Amino acid sequence: MMNKAGTDIQIAICGSAGDGTIASGDIMKRAAALMGFNVIAFDVYPPEIRGFGKCISRIRISSQQAYSLKQESDILVSLNDMHAIPHVGEVRDFGAVIYDDHLVSRVAEGGHISAHINPAQIPYGFSIRQISEQATNSARSRNIVILGYVAGLFNLPGEHFRKVIKSKFATKAQAVVDDNTKAFDAGLRAGRAVFKLDDVEVREPAEDANGAEVVMMTGNGAVVRGFMEAGIQSYFGYPITPATSIMERLAVEMPPVGGKFLQTEDEISAIAAAIGAGYTGSRAATATSGPGLALMAEMLGLGVMAEVPVVVVVSQRGGPSTGLPTKTEQSDLNLAVFGGSGDAQRIVLAPTNVEGCYRCAAMAFDIAETYQVPVILLIDLYLSNRYETVVPSSENAFAPKPRVPLKLVKGKPYERFALTENHISPRALPGEEGLMHTITGLEHNELGRPNDAIHMTMTIKRHEKLKNAINYEGLNVSKRFGDTGRVNVGILGWGSTFGEILEAMYEAQAEGISCSAMKVVMLSPLPVDALRAFFNDCDQILVPELNYEGQFANLVSGALGRPVTRLNRAIGTPMVVDEILAEVRRLYIQGPDTQDGARATGAGS
Amino acid sequence: MSTPIHNVIIGSGSAGFGAARTLRKSDDKCRITMITMDSLPFYHRYDLPQVFRGKQDWRDLLDVPPAYYDEMDIKLRRCSRVVDVEGAAQKITLAHQEAVGYDRLLVCAGGRGYIPENLTSYAGLMHGFGSFEAAMRVYRDLPAGGTAIMIGGDMVGIDLALTLLDTGYKVTLITNGQTFWPHEISQEEQARLLEVLAAKGVTIFKDSRPVGVSRDNAQHAASCVTLEDGTEVFGDVVMSFCGLASSVEFMLGADVDIERGLLVNPELRTSNETIWAAGDVCQIWHDQEKAYRFYHGWKNVRVMGELASRNMQGAHEIFDVDIEDTIGIGPDGQLRSTFWTH
Amino acid sequence: MNEHVKPVYLEEKLEEIRADGHQEYRSKSLPTWCPGCGYFSMAEGLTFALKRLGIEYKDVVTVSGIGCASRFPFFVNTYGFHTLHGRVLPVATGIKIGNEDLTVVAVGGDGDAFAIGGGHIPHAARRNVNLTYLVFDNGIYGLTKGQASPTSAVGFKTSSTPYENGDVPLNPLMMLLSYGASWVGQAYAGHQHHLADMITEAMAHRGFSFLRVLSPCVTFDKTNNTYANLNMAARGLPEDHDSSDLMAAMAEAAQADHPALGVYYKEDRPTLDEVMAATNRRAAGTDPA
Ligand SMILES: Cc1cc2nc3c(=O)[nH]c(=O)nc-3n(C[C@H](O)[C@H](O)[C@H](O)COP(=O)(O)OP(=O)(O)OC[C@H]3O[C@@H](n4cnc5c(N)ncnc54)[C@H](O)[C@@H]3O)c2cc1C
Ligand SMILES: Cc1ncc(C[n+]2csc(CCOP(=O)(O)OP(=O)(O)O)c2C)c(N)n1
Ligand code: SF4
Repeated sequence: MMNKAGTDIQIAICGSAGDGTIASGDIMKRAAALMGFNVIAFDVYPPEIRGFGKCISRIRISSQQAYSLKQESDILVSLNDMHAIPHVGEVRDFGAVIYDDHLVSRVAEGGHISAHINPAQIPYGFSIRQISEQATNSARSRNIVILGYVAGLFNLPGEHFRKVIKSKFATKAQAVVDDNTKAFDAGLRAGRAVFKLDDVEVREPAEDANGAEVVMMTGNGAVVRGFMEAGIQSYFGYPITPATSIMERLAVEMPPVGGKFLQTEDEISAIAAAIGAGYTGSRAATATSGPGLALMAEMLGLGVMAEVPVVVVVSQRGGPSTGLPTKTEQSDLNLAVFGGSGDAQRIVLAPTNVEGCYRCAAMAFDIAETYQVPVILLIDLYLSNRYETVVPSSENAFAPKPRVPLKLVKGKPYERFALTENHISPRALPGEEGLMHTITGLEHNELGRPNDAIHMTMTIKRHEKLKNAINYEGLNVSKRFGDTGRVNVGILGWGSTFGEILEAMYEAQAEGISCSAMKVVMLSPLPVDALRAFFNDCDQILVPELNYEGQFANLVSGALGRPVTRLNRAIGTPMVVDEILAEVRRLYIQGPDTQDGARATGAGS
Repeated sequence: MSTPIHNVIIGSGSAGFGAARTLRKSDDKCRITMITMDSLPFYHRYDLPQVFRGKQDWRDLLDVPPAYYDEMDIKLRRCSRVVDVEGAAQKITLAHQEAVGYDRLLVCAGGRGYIPENLTSYAGLMHGFGSFEAAMRVYRDLPAGGTAIMIGGDMVGIDLALTLLDTGYKVTLITNGQTFWPHEISQEEQARLLEVLAAKGVTIFKDSRPVGVSRDNAQHAASCVTLEDGTEVFGDVVMSFCGLASSVEFMLGADVDIERGLLVNPELRTSNETIWAAGDVCQIWHDQEKAYRFYHGWKNVRVMGELASRNMQGAHEIFDVDIEDTIGIGPDGQLRSTFWTH
Repeated sequence: MNEHVKPVYLEEKLEEIRADGHQEYRSKSLPTWCPGCGYFSMAEGLTFALKRLGIEYKDVVTVSGIGCASRFPFFVNTYGFHTLHGRVLPVATGIKIGNEDLTVVAVGGDGDAFAIGGGHIPHAARRNVNLTYLVFDNGIYGLTKGQASPTSAVGFKTSSTPYENGDVPLNPLMMLLSYGASWVGQAYAGHQHHLADMITEAMAHRGFSFLRVLSPCVTFDKTNNTYANLNMAARGLPEDHDSSDLMAAMAEAAQADHPALGVYYKEDRPTLDEVMAATNRRAAGTDPA
């Protein structure tokens, strides 16, 4: 639960594509991070790039670690009333609505945002455009003027903003930095002159004890950072929302350090080439979304069969088919865990926050190499695009370990797929002396020769070796939060939804409901022992997830043979904390008896 | 089904709020829009000195909670300044360029604190007291035990002065003959009442004309008022309390008669069929005096708002309230006004 | 021929192969192709080429798709990757990017190449990936037992075209020429020595070399690409053919009914490795330019 004495505010900046909304939000969150706050932020873009679609940047700034965005914003800034009007309702009572009160053209009744502000919200109109034009001779710096205003109104230190503005526009002409700084300062003066009527308070951030480097990044940015720290050597990608920015960022970062980056002709080639590179010992990865993963399914099977390490990031969006490219969803779990032909278990990691994206991405190569298997990093649009402050590892923790050369046993042929105690076979890399062998997608014997008779033995080997991954050092494949011991309600979650689950769990606790939440980061193989222990401790289990079919609920309840209550939402937006909370309350009041694996109210109705 | 009648009220003071509430009580179908420059929902202006008695959270000053407006289906448009009313087109233009149409309009725009003409160029160095924000600025800028300089000394100021004295501040009053507005009382009476104030600790500069206001002066006081005779009066804040001037400038295109205020008949209707006015903004025809008269004070004003709203709905009530205009000293030694009380 | 035939592993046969001096290039598995299949020529041809070029077998990766032809990696003593139907080129590209010191030979049949894998060819070609792509074109699907392929002739009766194939076949050479392959040649399984030379030359080329090998499927094609027919049709490229002249190469390639053997076209231009290295230097700011 948020410390009430600390800072916990959420700002929403809403404008039209071209207003600089996202850039404005970006500066806001970076400045807040510089001030030492925890930041979680999520931008919403229009599906089409051109035109006047709606952009919203939501930024939650807190002194304590927060887990998701808040349902209600404390501050809404409108750069475009048409788009912002529908969002006035998300501002809490006694929160602030900031807007331009000098429109350039006439509007009909209701066309101005002030018409929609409810009596408990505080309107702050000021002449955003005029101030921008006076400061920079252009209305284009409105997005910076509002930052100054916010800083002035809420008494935030201006120097952090100026610093971020300077670094953000560092690649542009000095005049750009100067103009934006002028715009900021003009906004700041306007904001300082206003009498503050809202009750939104920004207090000093909590003192950071270890003074570690704190970096602001998106889930996708964190994946990139993790990859780079792990020394990624080759990347193959095909653009697809919401994974594209991983590829674009790696295209910038890999070449200067000698990484091999290639945009392939499709997702099949992307994964094929990554598997080819992985086969040679190169740390190779690709990233895609559901439709791309569907195309990759056959190749993933080859990776499993031929035991080739490769890392695949999958950022889910609404589906099926082309679906909802700019909306979030958690409906590719089945495809990630089971997709493809045959018994083809692979490792699937689903981090729950940006920090997790960073850590999982950084460890993914070593996991793939250790277990000689494709590793899927399953995230979603919400996690890909939301910003959080992350404390990166200070030492060079994720670089590849030096390779121990294999020993050839005289007189014995090299067995690439030797049956061993831990089911992991010694892997030779092409180019190594005397260890020539052929790997194949056909079922094969220890030597790699096609062989049908050994199918059962080899299937067991390929599954058993992965069980070790549950204990992979440094990776929490599952974790329980909240009350320990016996509880009334246990909330089980995965992926980005876990932030909302945690918030709901803490609120339920505050209401006196005994409850816990458990996140499952490794979806394949499932940490069944930990899950069973959790099930044994909870009278009832609730599984909220952003899909219609309850894919995770099916997975868990199938693996354990135990019923769960589902809360399924396919709404394109993150899970609503209050809906989880309502379910928890309902289960708590109703007690365990009537719970019969029945679907919760929302599911499927 | 026809569209519901749109009643628009300009102003959310005692007159405007009273009118809106009365309108809704008698008609649950019509649209009611209350347009105001204020940033807060309705509160009693006479409560503003309360900020010196611990009410620094505006929510403590509200007459009704914010949710009331939604419950009553009254659309409250705050921070919205009317810049133009087109009587013929029945259209209002707001400063931010939004147009709002109306079927019936009630103007309750009140008045603004008046600053003597020779001092208008010093307005930036003076504090206002007409709104919660203004009152809070005075509260912030006045150090504990500090001195407030008041120019004039209308009832708004006197009210504040008494509160300030009560709460440990000092008050310096520079009078100019207009003291105790809106009470119309003789010079002798004024002198007698000023003595009461002096006895309470108010420093008084009688009948002195201030000619300038400055900051950063020799005495390092926050503010200084220079009088005609060269005397320098030092203090922390300077305020003008010289009565209120009606806010009518936006009504120039409304096709209504204006003198100092909006001229209305005893039914509070202006010369325009669809426009009424109530409160400090209007001057009401007085049949005996054969003249248009102001009726200040919140009691008068609220009655006007309620009456006007009934007349907007077809009633023909006459405003004939005539509270006696007296101010004197009560048995307890306190100033007592017949209508300026709450 | 079916997918489940157990590889043959005969010690005596191995001794025999060792005796002929090619032993280091041949694996312990003997080819499982039908006796008489044109594909036997590739095992011989490749081992010859590797020997001639002095490439160490540990540095070679043979990559294939799925099909009879794609069984090839099992039969040579190099590193091998038998991948998926149609995906030999992207995997081979990844291998080359993963370790550019490796010599990569991609192998596949005509279905693997031009049907399911058709989308990858232009990209490997235009990028000039430094590898050799050997397509053994028998105009039929061998492994799946005799269905029509993209290079099957019009009028050809197969199990999937029982009333005769009506689709006009692709012209692989014209495709590759127009895709920007920097080395395009044609050989014939029936002309062993010429084939070995052509493989050698293709592998010696710096960049993407494409060699089409006309190869009879003796089991499922008794009428079209038979040794008899191909022996008759195959001709050499004209003496004066200029292999740097793309238009001349196109004109020769257009004569599909009289397939000419030889090097149609070759061009020296930066390979993918080199292009990437240049990009990386630019990115690092160490580009001398
Ligand atoms: C500080 C103060 C203290 C007072 N104390 C007392 C007291 O103790 N006892 C007493 O009897 N009387 C007192 N009065 C006087 C009395 O309250 C007034 O007569 C009364 O407030 C007038 O009410 P009203 O509704 O007419 O106007 P106001 O209360 O002045 O309200 C005017 C409204 O109109 C709005 N408005 C004005 N112009 C525009 C425009 N162009 N566009 C949109 N909106 C506009 C304003 O925002 C405001 O909401 C005091 C007045 C003040 C200012
Ligand atoms: C995705 C997929 N589809 C179909 C097949 C079945 N299949 C295997 S080989 C083959 C065609 C082989 O023909 P070709 O590529 O010409 O090679 P050949 O056998 O003639 O050498 C097909 C359709 C497969 N293995 N994978
Ligand atoms: S291509 Fe034809 S002849 Fe050759 S192995 Fe396959 S089926 Fe047999």
